Amino acid sequence: MTIFTFALKRSFSNKTNLLFLTLFPIACIFFPKGEEWPFLPYGYQYFGIIILFIGIRLATIILEDRAKGLVKRLAVAPISHFQYLSQNLLAYSIILIVQCVLVVYGGVLFGQELYQPGWLLLLYISFSFSSLAMALAWISIYRNKDVSFLMYMAIIFIVVMLGGIIIPVEIFPDLLKRLAVIFPTYWLGQGINWVAFGEEILDFLLINGVLWLYTVVFMIIGSIRKIQ
Amino acid sequence: MTIATMQGVVKRYGSHVALDYINLNIHEGEIIGLLGPNGAGKTTLIQTLTGITPFERGKIEIFGDSKNPFSNQNKEKMGLVTQEITVLEELTAKENLQFFAGVYGLKGEEKKKRVEEALGFVGLGDKGGKMTTNFSGGMKRRLNIACALTHRPKFLIMDEPTVGIDPQSRNYILEAVKKLRENGTTILYTTHYMEEVQAIATKVVIMDQGQIIKEGTVEELIKTVQHEEKVRIDVTDIERIPVEALEKISGVKKISVSGNQLTIISAFGSGNLDRILTLVKEHAGVLEIQADKPNLEDVFLTLTGKQLRDKEEE
Amino acid sequence: MRILSTVKFTALRMIRNYIVLILLLVVPIILITFFSFILSGYVTDVGIPYINENAMTMVVVFQLFGGSIVMYLIHHDLFAENKMRMYVIPFNQTMYAFSIMLCGAIYSIFLGILLMVYSQFVLSVIWENWIWMTYIISLVAILSIIVCLIFMLSVKNYKIAERLSELYGVGFVVLAGLFFPMPNHAIFEFLGSYGNPVTLAMGAIRDMSISNTSSAWFQANILLVVIIFLFIVMLMVGRRKMG
Repeated sequence: MTIFTFALKRSFSNKTNLLFLTLFPIACIFFPKGEEWPFLPYGYQYFGIIILFIGIRLATIILEDRAKGLVKRLAVAPISHFQYLSQNLLAYSIILIVQCVLVVYGGVLFGQELYQPGWLLLLYISFSFSSLAMALAWISIYRNKDVSFLMYMAIIFIVVMLGGIIIPVEIFPDLLKRLAVIFPTYWLGQGINWVAFGEEILDFLLINGVLWLYTVVFMIIGSIRKIQ
Repeated sequence: MTIATMQGVVKRYGSHVALDYINLNIHEGEIIGLLGPNGAGKTTLIQTLTGITPFERGKIEIFGDSKNPFSNQNKEKMGLVTQEITVLEELTAKENLQFFAGVYGLKGEEKKKRVEEALGFVGLGDKGGKMTTNFSGGMKRRLNIACALTHRPKFLIMDEPTVGIDPQSRNYILEAVKKLRENGTTILYTTHYMEEVQAIATKVVIMDQGQIIKEGTVEELIKTVQHEEKVRIDVTDIERIPVEALEKISGVKKISVSGNQLTIISAFGSGNLDRILTLVKEHAGVLEIQADKPNLEDVFLTLTGKQLRDKEEE
Repeated sequence: MRILSTVKFTALRMIRNYIVLILLLVVPIILITFFSFILSGYVTDVGIPYINENAMTMVVVFQLFGGSIVMYLIHHDLFAENKMRMYVIPFNQTMYAFSIMLCGAIYSIFLGILLMVYSQFVLSVIWENWIWMTYIISLVAILSIIVCLIFMLSVKNYKIAERLSELYGVGFVVLAGLFFPMPNHAIFEFLGSYGNPVTLAMGAIRDMSISNTSSAWFQANILLVVIIFLFIVMLMVGRRKMG
C-alpha cells in the first residue's frame, strides 16, 4: 500500500491543498442560514462546490505524475496501472469522506439545522465519489496541471450555476430546468432538498443512484489513459 | 583591445564564497572556454560580469568602462545566451527575434534583415512562423542563441548552451560559435564538457570552487600534465606476456593487466613503444593498440584531484 | 521608445493566453446569458430590470481577476525564467514592467467592454452611461492589477501570491454579499460597502444611472484614492524587490 500512503502524504504536502482540505470545509460549518432558500445553511448548500475543488486538487496529483514521467517509472515497476490508480483513488476517497464527516457532524455539534444529518452525509459521500471521478476524467485529457485546474474552475462555475446550487432550479425557465438534469450538481441540489423535506426513501436512493452512475461512467473514462 | 576585465572580484552567498578573487581578461577576437564542474561558479561569474548580480569586492571593466560598466551603451554591444531556455513561449520564433531586435533599437528593414539573418544562422530559417511551444529541445536551444544575435553583439556570453540536446544540434551550435568568431565576435563560452572547449576555444580558463585555477591555450595546459604516456595493448593470450621483462624496458613506469589488456605507463618522450611491441609480439598476437593522449580532463584531475564530470554523467 | 516596441508582443502574449480569455470572457458571457434567461421579466423595486443589475455585477466582478495575467508576465520575465536575459537587455526594466501593467489594464478593460457590448446587443441589457461604466471598470481593473503586483512583490513564493490574488477576488465578491448575507457587524458592513471595490464600483454605476452624480463621484474617487495609495506601496515594495 505504498502508493496509498504516499498519496495521503502528498495530498497534504501542498499548501493550497491544505487550505482546501482543512480551512474551507471547516468554514462551511459556520455560514449562516438563508431565509427562504437554501433550505440548509449556506455552507452546506455550497459544500458541493468545495467538494468539486477538492476533487480536482487531489486528481491533479495523478496528472503531475504523468507530466513528470513518474508514471513511466512505475510502469516498469512490479505494480499494475490498476493498483496505482486504485490506491491513489482510495486515498483521495478517504480524505473526501473524512471532510464530509467533519462538516456534517461539525454542523450538528455547532447546532446547525441539518434535518437528517446521516442521509446528508451519505449524499455528500456519493457526490464526493462523483466529483473524484469527474476530476479523473478531466485530467485524462490534459498534460499540464495548471491549465487543467484553471479550465476545470471555469467548468465548476458553469456546472454549479446551471445545476441549481447557487440559484434554485425552481425559478429556471423550462429549457434550463431540463438542461439542469444532466449536471451532477442538480442531483446534489435535489438530494439536499430531500434531506430537508423528503419522505420517500426511493427518491433519495434514485438521487444517489444517479450520482453513482456518474461515478462509474467518469471513472471508466478517466481510467483509460495510462502512460502517455 | 580588452573587451572585459575582472580584477579581484569576490561574491558571497552567506558563508559560501561563490567567486574568490577572480582575475580574468577577455581580449578581442578570443573564444574563452570557461571550464569547470557543476558548482564551480561559472554562472555566478557570468551574472556578475553582466551586472545581474552585484559583487562585494573588486572591479569590473566592460569595453574599457570601469565607472559604469553595465550601462545601456555597453549592454548594446553585449549578448547573453542563458543556460536555461529563455524564449517567450507565447510567441513564434520570428516574433521572439523581433521582440529582442526591437529592444536593441533595431527598426524597419534593418530589423527584418537581422531577424532573417539570425534565424538562418541557427538553422531555423523555415521555422520562423511556428510557435516555440511546438519546438523540440534542440530547436529551442538554437532559438535561445538566435535571440542573443539579432543585434550583432561584439561580446557574446554563452552559458552552457548545449545542455541536454542531441549531438547533431550540439555540433551545429559549435560550428555556429566558430562562425561568430570569424565574424568578429568575442565569445565567453562556459561548459563542463571538455570536448567542446577543445573543439572551439582559443584560450581555456579552468575554474573550481569559485577560483580560477589555470588558464592558457589547450596545448599549454596539456603540456603541464604531459609527463607520462599511456599505451593500451589488447593481446590474444595475456598469460604468455612476460610482464617482468616489460617492466625492465627503459622509461616504463607502471604496467597493469586487465583481462587480455595491458596498460603500460611510460615517461613522456621515452620513445619505448617500439621495444614494448617487439617484446609483446614475440609472445602473443596483438589485437589492438591504443595510445592515450592527455586531455583537459587529465589537466583538471591533476590540478584539482577531482574528475571534471561525475562518473554517473559519463 | 524601445519599451514601446515590446508592447505589441506583450499584447500578443496576453491575447494568446486562451485560459485567461476563457475565464475573463467566455465564462462571464455564459453566466450573463444564463442569468438573462432566469431573470427576464423580473424588475427591482425601482423598476430596473434585474438583468441589468446582474450584467453590471458580472462585468465588475470579473475585473477583479484581470491582474493574474499581468502578474504572470512580470514574474516570468523579471523575476523567474527570463530574468537573466531581460536584465542584460539595454532597456529600463521598471518601465518594461509598467508597459506590461498598462497592456494588462487595457486588455482587461477591453474584455469588460466586450461583455457590455454582448449584453447590450444580444441580451438587450441597457447601459445608461458607457463612458462612466468604462471609467469605473478601468478603476477596478487598475486596482486589481496593483493589488496582484503588491502580492507578487511582497511574497517570496509565487504560488502563494497567486492564491492571495484569487483570495482577493473571491473574498471581495463574498464580502459584497453576492453569495450569502454577511453578519451584522461593523467590520463586515464596512467591507460590504466603502471597503469593497465591488460595492463601490456598483454603487458608483447605480448612482450615476439615477443622476446622483455627487455620490457616484464620491465612490469613484474612493477607488481612485486607494489606487494612488496602493500604487505608491507597489513602488516601494517593487524597489525593494528589484534592488
